Amino acid sequence: MSLGADVGIFAISIAAGLIGALAGVGGGILIVPALTLLFGIDIRLAIGASIVSVIATSSGAAAAYVRDRMTDMRIGMFLELATTSGAVCGALLAAMVAPSLLYVLLGIVLLFSAIQQAFRLGEELPASTVASPLATRLRLAGSYPDSRLGRDVPYVAIRIPLGFVMMAGAGVVSGLLGIGSGVLKVLAMDGAMRLPMKVSSATSNFMIGVTAAASAGIYLGRGDVDVTIAGPVALGVLAGAMIGARILPRLSNRHVRLVFLPVLIVIGLQTLARGLGLAL
Amino acid sequence: MTPDRFRAVVSTVLIVGVGASAALIAIGFAGSLVVGWQGSLLGRGVSTASASDFGGIADGLAALRPVAIAQAGLIVLVATPVVRVATSVAAFALEGDRLYAAITLGVLAILLGSLFLIR
Repeated sequence: MSLGADVGIFAISIAAGLIGALAGVGGGILIVPALTLLFGIDIRLAIGASIVSVIATSSGAAAAYVRDRMTDMRIGMFLELATTSGAVCGALLAAMVAPSLLYVLLGIVLLFSAIQQAFRLGEELPASTVASPLATRLRLAGSYPDSRLGRDVPYVAIRIPLGFVMMAGAGVVSGLLGIGSGVLKVLAMDGAMRLPMKVSSATSNFMIGVTAAASAGIYLGRGDVDVTIAGPVALGVLAGAMIGARILPRLSNRHVRLVFLPVLIVIGLQTLARGLGLAL
Repeated sequence: MTPDRFRAVVSTVLIVGVGASAALIAIGFAGSLVVGWQGSLLGRGVSTASASDFGGIADGLAALRPVAIAQAGLIVLVATPVVRVATSVAAFALEGDRLYAAITLGVLAILLGSLFLIR
């Protein structure tokens, strides 16, 4: 890599970290196409760098999100149980399933979710509900400080079994395909469990690092992580994620949806295209 | 342990992990501009190992090779979420929340197990 290319990769990584921190996803959607199409880097090394970028986004943003009470650590840990076991199953199944069909299915699911999200664009906070006995038992309720509304906003997780199953599904998909775990996590918390969008995004961010760490060892061992590429990516993404984590508390939940929706559509289209054998 | 203290501890773990990782990668990168990625800051000659091979990291660190220093930074980065989960197990236990100490321990077990299971 020339110094110019390194600076370019660094700059794109800052953008990826920023968007990832706001939308609750890893920066893979930007990193992989940028590295392969703009810099002619092998797809294998690009994916290796994107796994590193997911962990960097997560840890870089979560430090601030945890401190600022944006992340719900109990909800995150409870759901991580589903995601990590799903991811292990997915990785074990990977040799038995045809990935192209899975890409097509996931792409369709994401694009349908995008339509659902579009209808929810104007929603600031979900309608308040009463905690179910399960939510009380598992303490899946809390509050977050909303500096934009100027008050603490209480929330309760609903449809917990559905959310848990969706999270396990997100784990299986990310174990099988290595992508999409962040968007599926946000969709499970926002769509199924009806948590406020900022809490969904920050908690997803907190979780994706753990899911990615579970598979990062495999990528390192296989020689898919080239430090001359993944190094500048990690530095840029960390910087971007830290900036994003400072911005998110000041945004409204509606703004976060406006960042998340295009990310969801792009990932959906990318996934569908990959399943159909088109380069995108 | 109070919830505020818990959050501060987890946040500190993340800041230290991320900071150490970024510092190592940045030192490696700066070193690469001086002696090249495979060179040695101790003047030990150029290595021929691949930049994606993490097997030679110990020897590389002994010779202060930029590639090995940056690789160490990536390993710290990957280890940070794992250490964070381990810290949370202890913090939930100190908070007296046995249910969540157990749940988090389960996550840690799956996480560590996956490193050995998937080969």
